[in-house]
Amino acid sequence: MIDRTLGLWQTIVIGAAGLLVFLGGWESLVRLGVIDPYFLPAPSQVVTRMVSLASGPEAVLLDDIVVSATRVMTGFVLSTLVGVPVGLVMGMSSLVRAALNPIISIIRPLPALSWIPLSMLWLGIDEQQKYAIVFMGCFASVLVYTTDATMRVSNTLILAARNLGASRLQVIRLVVLPGALQDILSGLKVVLAIAWTCVISAEMVGANSGLGFRIWTAKEWSDTGQVLVGMLSISLTVLILDIMFRGLERLLMPWQRTGRNA
Amino acid sequence: MTSALIDAQSVYKTFDTRHGELCALQDFSLKIHEGEVVCMVGASGCGKSTFLNIMAGFITPSSGRILLDGREITSIEPRCGMIFQDYALFPWLTVRDNVAFGPRMKGAGVKQRHRQAQRWIDMVGLKGFEDAYPGELSGGMQQRVALSRALANEPDVLLCDEPFAALDAMTRQIMQQELLKIVQESGKTVLFITHSIDEALILSDRLIVMSARPGRVKAVYDNDLPRPRMLDVQITRRFLELKREVWDLVQEEVMGSLTD
Repeated sequence: MIDRTLGLWQTIVIGAAGLLVFLGGWESLVRLGVIDPYFLPAPSQVVTRMVSLASGPEAVLLDDIVVSATRVMTGFVLSTLVGVPVGLVMGMSSLVRAALNPIISIIRPLPALSWIPLSMLWLGIDEQQKYAIVFMGCFASVLVYTTDATMRVSNTLILAARNLGASRLQVIRLVVLPGALQDILSGLKVVLAIAWTCVISAEMVGANSGLGFRIWTAKEWSDTGQVLVGMLSISLTVLILDIMFRGLERLLMPWQRTGRNA
Repeated sequence: MTSALIDAQSVYKTFDTRHGELCALQDFSLKIHEGEVVCMVGASGCGKSTFLNIMAGFITPSSGRILLDGREITSIEPRCGMIFQDYALFPWLTVRDNVAFGPRMKGAGVKQRHRQAQRWIDMVGLKGFEDAYPGELSGGMQQRVALSRALANEPDVLLCDEPFAALDAMTRQIMQQELLKIVQESGKTVLFITHSIDEALILSDRLIVMSARPGRVKAVYDNDLPRPRMLDVQITRRFLELKREVWDLVQEEVMGSLTD
């Protein structure tokens, strides 16, 4: 079957229509009394709650977003700064791979949540503890994505560069890194989402600010509106970060923008 | 002629595979003189690519050696410029930067290497495409970039591993014409591997027919088709005579390798 691809505006209009139907259905189910707003408030109520949380005397929403996003980005960038170089070396050297793989296999399956007790013991509930949780939740994944991406770089390209006189170091810098860049960035996009789950979990267990903390305290007060505002804020923030990430990709990989087979 | 530029002396190469040892090259000797264009034809798996990879220094022979201008090839050898079948262009570099890669490795500054690149870009007829990325070009154009990239590195020998095999018939003929022109103008020494007897006859001064595995030299033809040569050499009587002779030999080997 041939799937006709839609134009940009068609895509936007149809997407918006889908969203409207979904929200309209939800709103009417609450208004008709099918759903008790105590368990699930209507979209209009969520918006009202969002406005009151974003402005007025208890305006905490923006601060929460900034606090959580800062934690996410700090931990994420730290894990990238360590994970990408080590991953590159692992991808290039079977010796290093053999040495590090067992350690990584032990660390990688651990959920970020399982690091909370130790990290609280070591670092309290300071910012460093949040960074540490994100780092531990992301680091192994960054490493594995980078290693795989490095190993997928075409051997012919490496030979071609060597044939043109490139040293081993030049091959890493000029062939392996740009060759693996696309796969590394796709991996990092997944890791960025992991970083958010790490932060939200950490904030729910031990914090006094951030979106995770806001959602958790709202539940204690049975403020489902605030719970949904918190959840929606996570979605929106991740969405914005994702768009920024795509901009970064286009900036770093101009050959992908124009490529016929891109 | 004086001593050979390339002197392969009794080269053996065996590979360890799951099914035991595989002998790709057996007592393979070959001399190529400066400015000569030598084409190797043979069935798949006859070891012709293995020989090319040893020449480039990508792999080492099990025994025997290859001398290039009197020096044994022991590691990756930038004096042997390689043209790959799948072009092997760097997708993240523009045409200009791909071609300038060799000069860049030699430490040439931006201006200098771009000037050097421009000369070869013009020569293969890609003027106007300097800022394009390889992904935006057709297969034939990509192979032109690969050709000028290899030439810009000023190798002593051009190694071609079935470079036109992935191109359509028309483009292939144009590329053969182009290579003929460049080779005749530059006087480069070329070792060219191909499946196509026609291609070998069009391009070569000397044509080497390989035996099926293990690879040995089965026969050597001096290609006496006149130079300068154009593509219309293909419709001459002498071309067809040579083609018949080579074809009979190659067919024998192909049948042999199929009934192994």
